[in-house]
Amino acid sequence: MNIKALLKSLLLRKFTTGLLILQLAITLGLLVNSVILAMDTNKKLAQNTGLDADNTLIVSLHPTSGDYRDLDYYRSVVSQDMQALKQLPAVESASLMNQLPINKRGMLGNVYDLDDPESVNRDKYLQDVKIFLNNEELSTTLGFELLEGRFLTKDDQLDFGTGENGNVIITESLKKALYGDESALGQETNNGRIVGVVKDIMLNPTIPEDKQYGMFGNRVMEYIFTGRYYLLKVLPGQIDKVRNQVSDTILGVQAERDIYRVFTMAEHLQRFYRHDKGLADLFLLLCGLMLFVTAISSYAYSQFHISRQKKYIGIRRALGARKKDILLYVLTENWLVYTIGCVLGSVFALGFNILLSQYISLSKPDMMLFLIASMVIFVAGTIATWIPAQKTSNIPPVIATRTV
Amino acid sequence: MRSTSLLTYNLSLAMQSFKRAPSLYFLIILTLSIGVGVLCANLALVNSMASDPIPEKSDKLIHISMNTWPGERPPDEPMHILRYRDAMKIAESDIPKRSAVFYATGVYARDSESTSMKRFDSDVRATTPGFFELTNAPFAYGAAFEKSSGMEVVIGDELNQKIFAGKNSVGKTLELDGELLTVVGVLKPWILRPLFYHPTEGRAFNLTDDIFVPLETAIDLNWSIHARSSSADSYSGVKDTRDKNAYYLQAWVELEDTKQRSAIQAYLDNYSQQLKDAGEHPLATRNVLHNVNEWLTAKKVVDQKVLAFTIASVLFLSVCIFNASSLLLSRFHAAKFEVGLRRAIGASNKHMLIQGLTESALLGVFTGAVSLVLSWLFLKLSVQFLPRLENIAVLEPSLLVLGMALSLLTAIASALYPLYRANRYTISAELK
Repeated sequence: MNIKALLKSLLLRKFTTGLLILQLAITLGLLVNSVILAMDTNKKLAQNTGLDADNTLIVSLHPTSGDYRDLDYYRSVVSQDMQALKQLPAVESASLMNQLPINKRGMLGNVYDLDDPESVNRDKYLQDVKIFLNNEELSTTLGFELLEGRFLTKDDQLDFGTGENGNVIITESLKKALYGDESALGQETNNGRIVGVVKDIMLNPTIPEDKQYGMFGNRVMEYIFTGRYYLLKVLPGQIDKVRNQVSDTILGVQAERDIYRVFTMAEHLQRFYRHDKGLADLFLLLCGLMLFVTAISSYAYSQFHISRQKKYIGIRRALGARKKDILLYVLTENWLVYTIGCVLGSVFALGFNILLSQYISLSKPDMMLFLIASMVIFVAGTIATWIPAQKTSNIPPVIATRTV
Repeated sequence: MRSTSLLTYNLSLAMQSFKRAPSLYFLIILTLSIGVGVLCANLALVNSMASDPIPEKSDKLIHISMNTWPGERPPDEPMHILRYRDAMKIAESDIPKRSAVFYATGVYARDSESTSMKRFDSDVRATTPGFFELTNAPFAYGAAFEKSSGMEVVIGDELNQKIFAGKNSVGKTLELDGELLTVVGVLKPWILRPLFYHPTEGRAFNLTDDIFVPLETAIDLNWSIHARSSSADSYSGVKDTRDKNAYYLQAWVELEDTKQRSAIQAYLDNYSQQLKDAGEHPLATRNVLHNVNEWLTAKKVVDQKVLAFTIASVLFLSVCIFNASSLLLSRFHAAKFEVGLRRAIGASNKHMLIQGLTESALLGVFTGAVSLVLSWLFLKLSVQFLPRLENIAVLEPSLLVLGMALSLLTAIASALYPLYRANRYTISAELK
């Protein structure tokens, strides 16, 4: 096949060819970036949270009556809630806490060893450590993995109103930030004495994995009004059954509560990324539309071209070109256009990537993606030109004699 | 008279042309209107997010950020939340016309006389009385409370609908978290897009509050803080915060005119300097004033994801225009014979051009009609994907006009090159 001649023939219709190439390049550029966005989002959703996301049920709730301003009353109702929830079949453990993991904001505080208050200036993440108020059962409910020391017990709950800090457990990365490889047990921080270190769980997905600083204290009964989340560990496969029972169980203890939502930890993670997912889906939807439009253009391009070239193709046929030569000729011509489009598209993809990165976080494109996206464009384009190409190859040689 | 008949003639020619290749024109209209529709839906979102919610005085309403943090580790930027005594210093100044100091909280509300025990989850703004005039809150019944204390509330329209079925409820008593407060005012439906008085903590597109309560009353009743707070001291509850270094209040002032800005700046700087001289904070004096639009810009209320998608929709629209252009080119090419014939019997180049433009304008009108429907659809779809934007997904009339104009423009733009080409077909070649 004579590429030079093909290029020459393409140059004869600069405008239409140029339009199609631009279209192909934009489509490829957007396609590559949309796929990157979708892959980024899927990666976020699939990351390891360190939690048994499918078998943990969360209830967010708030009392509605003024009676709950009497904290002793509040505490007694919550204790009854916990008892009732634990008695549900399939519930292994129940707990309550002030804030959920996998959350951007929440109750934060600075944490430092009493002997080294300067550490907060060295590591800014130490200024925003997640402070969890929970009861002694949280370790069981969330399935914490103990690395050092012990979990919190009933005895770690202090008398109310003392203002003391008491014992705490911390996450592994917080321990590393404060004490490196040395043991943290028995160390005094500004927020309490460390009695245990647990493996990291995903606390805030927007910060690095080794900065998941968290501190847990058995203090939620003291500050009971912060206990807005009940957590349940449920036997595998029973989550839906339990989900249907919790509201009635809680309201059965005392009805004056507003139960906002009952959801699993997995749903909580999805909700956290719901807007990222939404955006990625919108981009993919747009790409689908764009591919459709580009396919129409490819079809129109070949169709237009053929109607103008009828005569020449007739002459070629008359001069001995076989049907499949013509078919190959038309297809090669289109493939040439797609190749130029895809090369330009790679440049566009990089450009769009930089442009979009101004607004959203987006990974850099890699070679593999270019190749796959180019393949998609080629396949879609070939399908779109197949019918016109087929028609062209059917042009009888006799056409050559009809026009001058 | 002649021009109208020419127009009708041109229009009828255009209609004939559409009828001759209906599927092709259908494709053109479809692609163009999808492109315009997607872009319009996005622009509607951006437009709502970037709009000025109180244009009549947005440059005279000033939000105040200060840095009076007493500890050694101050926040990097002056904070938009203030402690009680700083906020009160602002409220007592007589430089501004009026001021509002508030925090966001929440309670459960019911009509104390109702037999139903159902309580409604209500967003509450605990505020000084200047808030209502400062924000131009529209009253349906009654009026604002006059002091920062007292067991009185103003309620929003939505809560009034829920609890009192929309009737004049002034004088009724609400039970709010076990306390009885009297309704003194009811607002009309009140939409602020964005919610300029509290755009932080992701609240920029929340609805206006359900209940407005005097600031001191809420503090005395210990109603908890529902937005960002930060404290250098420990405290047991809001009622305990007046003399603590607990930062949670926001302050706005309304100026008589924009020139007063420097006066209020000087007043605040002077106050900060006094604190510094007394050794109460180690920081450099940095008090920052923002008017409404500056504040909304600083807080980046325009969703960056929507902006990214808008870029993508612009690209998509350009692809649609290219597509329409190549479709039209093939259509005009196919109609070559007819064009040649009409030229041969005396139609001038100019006539042909006008005829072509009429056809594309008509195409634009059809596209516009379809794209308006599609914009609405895409807007609903966007909200499905990005539920946070639910409260701002509205198609304003100006957007509809824009959609129409875009359709016309794109249709004509797509036809420009094909028309140019068509006018160059030589008469003789076509009539052979």
